[in-house]
Amino acid sequence: MLFNSGVFLQFFAAFLLLYYLVRNRLMARNGLIVLASYLFYGWWDYRFLSLLVFSSLLDYAVGRALDRCTHPGHRKLWLALSLATSLGLLGFFKYYNFFIDSAAVLLAQLGLSVEPRTLDIVLPVGISFYTFQTMSYTFDVYRRTMPATRDLLSFLAYVAFFPQLVAGPIERASRLLPQFTKTRVITRQRLIEGTWLMIWGMFKKVVVADNLAPLVEMVFDHPAPTGLMVILGTVAFTFQIYGDFSGYSDIARGLASVLGFDLMLNFNLPYTATSPRDFWRRWHISLSTWLRDYLYIALGGNRRGVWRTRFNLLATMLLGGLWHGAAWSFVLWGLWHGLGLVLTRPAQSHVPAPDRPRWRLLQWAATMLFVLYGWLLFRAGSLAHIVELTSALACWEWPTWGLSYLINLMAFSLPLALAEVWQARAGDLMTPARWLASMRALLQGILLLAIVVFWQKEAAPFIYFQF
Amino acid sequence: MNPQDSIGGTSTKAMTTAQTHLRSHQCAFTARDLAEIVGAPLGVLLLLAALFHFAAAADWLPAPRPTLDMDRTLLIHQADSSRSAQDATVILIGDSSCLMDVSASDLTRHLGQPTLNLGLLSYLDLPSFGILVRNYAHANPERLETVVLLLHPESLRLQAPSAYHRAQLEDYLAGRDAHTAGGIGGRLQTALGAILVRGRLEARVIPAPLSGVYGRFYGFTRDFSRWLGAHRGSAIDPQRFDRTRAQGNAEYRLAPRLESESRLLRQCVPSGVRLVVGLTPAPRSFVRPDHEATCARILEQLAKWLKADAVLAGLPASMPDELFASVTHLTGEGQTLFTQRLAAEMQTAAIVRTPRPDWIPRAEHLMQE
Repeated sequence: MLFNSGVFLQFFAAFLLLYYLVRNRLMARNGLIVLASYLFYGWWDYRFLSLLVFSSLLDYAVGRALDRCTHPGHRKLWLALSLATSLGLLGFFKYYNFFIDSAAVLLAQLGLSVEPRTLDIVLPVGISFYTFQTMSYTFDVYRRTMPATRDLLSFLAYVAFFPQLVAGPIERASRLLPQFTKTRVITRQRLIEGTWLMIWGMFKKVVVADNLAPLVEMVFDHPAPTGLMVILGTVAFTFQIYGDFSGYSDIARGLASVLGFDLMLNFNLPYTATSPRDFWRRWHISLSTWLRDYLYIALGGNRRGVWRTRFNLLATMLLGGLWHGAAWSFVLWGLWHGLGLVLTRPAQSHVPAPDRPRWRLLQWAATMLFVLYGWLLFRAGSLAHIVELTSALACWEWPTWGLSYLINLMAFSLPLALAEVWQARAGDLMTPARWLASMRALLQGILLLAIVVFWQKEAAPFIYFQF
Repeated sequence: MNPQDSIGGTSTKAMTTAQTHLRSHQCAFTARDLAEIVGAPLGVLLLLAALFHFAAAADWLPAPRPTLDMDRTLLIHQADSSRSAQDATVILIGDSSCLMDVSASDLTRHLGQPTLNLGLLSYLDLPSFGILVRNYAHANPERLETVVLLLHPESLRLQAPSAYHRAQLEDYLAGRDAHTAGGIGGRLQTALGAILVRGRLEARVIPAPLSGVYGRFYGFTRDFSRWLGAHRGSAIDPQRFDRTRAQGNAEYRLAPRLESESRLLRQCVPSGVRLVVGLTPAPRSFVRPDHEATCARILEQLAKWLKADAVLAGLPASMPDELFASVTHLTGEGQTLFTQRLAAEMQTAAIVRTPRPDWIPRAEHLMQE
């Protein structure tokens, strides 16, 4: 079920009604959330519900065992069981074919010919997100930074909470789980912020991302793209992926907010970043902090010398890239960002950042070029395509349809870019939520009209669903 | 109590018991708040929709021109061509094979007579083609001499034309807003002014990207429209025919509906203007052994229904696969060859007169535009 579909609107309207009816019973609310979330997930493919339930039950049980157990060896075994199962399922569904194919290619390079036995595997939607969410719970209980919960219903609701189930934010149990055990207060301000987030998120998805998608395809599927086409296509993708993913996150946060829940901020004006490090503090924050806390720090972080720190950064970003998808282009994208972090790290540690606007502009421009090329790697799909697109950059022939492309690019990316600049200047991501009611209603009404105008009969899926 | 067995300082056992009595949520807002937060933006939306409807009714908005995809851009371009002053004495009408298989610029050169391609889509019926003929004759009095109807056998067996495409053409010609999309969502979009905004404003300002290979070849609706203008209404199918992927069969026949439709088309052709009919080719490997005979039979019957002045019986019924983009369309190379054959056939059958002395070819000029 997609947020930008008619069926979701009907689902959510029915859910709100039931949610209101169970307002006096916390257990009933959690039960309703679990059932609705399973319906939401099962709408896509009910068979994979079993995977979600199994993953939830396993980590609930492991959490309880870890809590009770005091023997360090046994605790490690419980942790290993949880990780092996979670990563095993993720590895099988997401990476099996990739590793088999890659191994076959490698063996062929060594002169050994093998017939790879790939399987026709369907990737369960959201598996990377909920697996990381349950893993964070197990890690936290193992580290005793939070106690295990006894409340199975709350735990099931935490894992399956439909606003963020399939594409995040990847919530930590310590933050979200306690919210299921308390009475939630839905205030006027919460409603204002929630509706604003939903409308703005839907605008980013339906108006910005979905209209930029064909422009991106036009370039990235072109058999012989020119350099200018690649540049335009990459800029289009830069806005498409941001509109798509941050739009989803905003809708998720908005939905949760009107239900009385707080989800973490996942994007904080990432295209205003002035360094790769700054970018990763602003882009997909729930994943970058997850990787920092459970991978980078677990590897030793920056505590074991300069070279080990560099290695840790590279390894973390490489795995972060691989998390996005089973393809070498994602690995390369991760490495590209890892290298960016490694190379800019000394500069940031030793050179005090001058507060001159020109210097900041230069830093921003350099960071954007770095991020843009990263998106080219991300979107390309294969190493051969990356080489093709990169070598096309040498040819600066203006395509015959260049003007039409530019008009589209401006029309659909400029509103988002201007809004970002405005939010950055205001230093407040929720500026319109603090406006006068009449002004806010006017802006929301205009955005709603744009959403209605560009609403597609066949809802376009979110890009991050495939991850 | 084990301190680890708690969240927020309360034992989980105690908490679970307490939860059964806890409220799910408290609504700390009033009905007025709800009306303001949810109702006001919806009110603005309704107000804007009403404003658009009012502006459209009062003719404050530009006229509808919904060039939002390839099909509608083609319909609108050809409808506009048929209603504007042109130099063509020969016009080509028919389905998309007429559009893609014949280069009007080449034909103009070969015949020495200005030719215009008004080819549409197979989803449309013969009377729709007739509307363009009537409009052309009306906009260019005393100019039209020959109408060439070219159809692919595939479109002749279609049991019914597409009501949607027919409505799109009729709505545009009548200056009405586009045909409403079906379903509750489509009707809601229409009520909220989406069709007004898209068809009257967006389509005029923002060219829509064409999908797939068409997008990579032509680019956007605006570029496709320009291409048609520069090529006297002809287009090229940039695809490549793949026999292994070709769907359907080649059992061609005439749909009974064509009999009555032929009469309506004939009525649209002004007296003194010749109506010529021919069939476009299919890929050689796709057709049956008796394809040529079948086509001859179909053409003879169709010509009778149309009361055609001449029949292009010498056109090839099939051509080599490598000249095709799809079952119904030739490639650019195939188009060049077929146009040559068509010109030769028209000259042999003395369908066109000698070049008009007052006509100056402007094909080269148009090509450069």
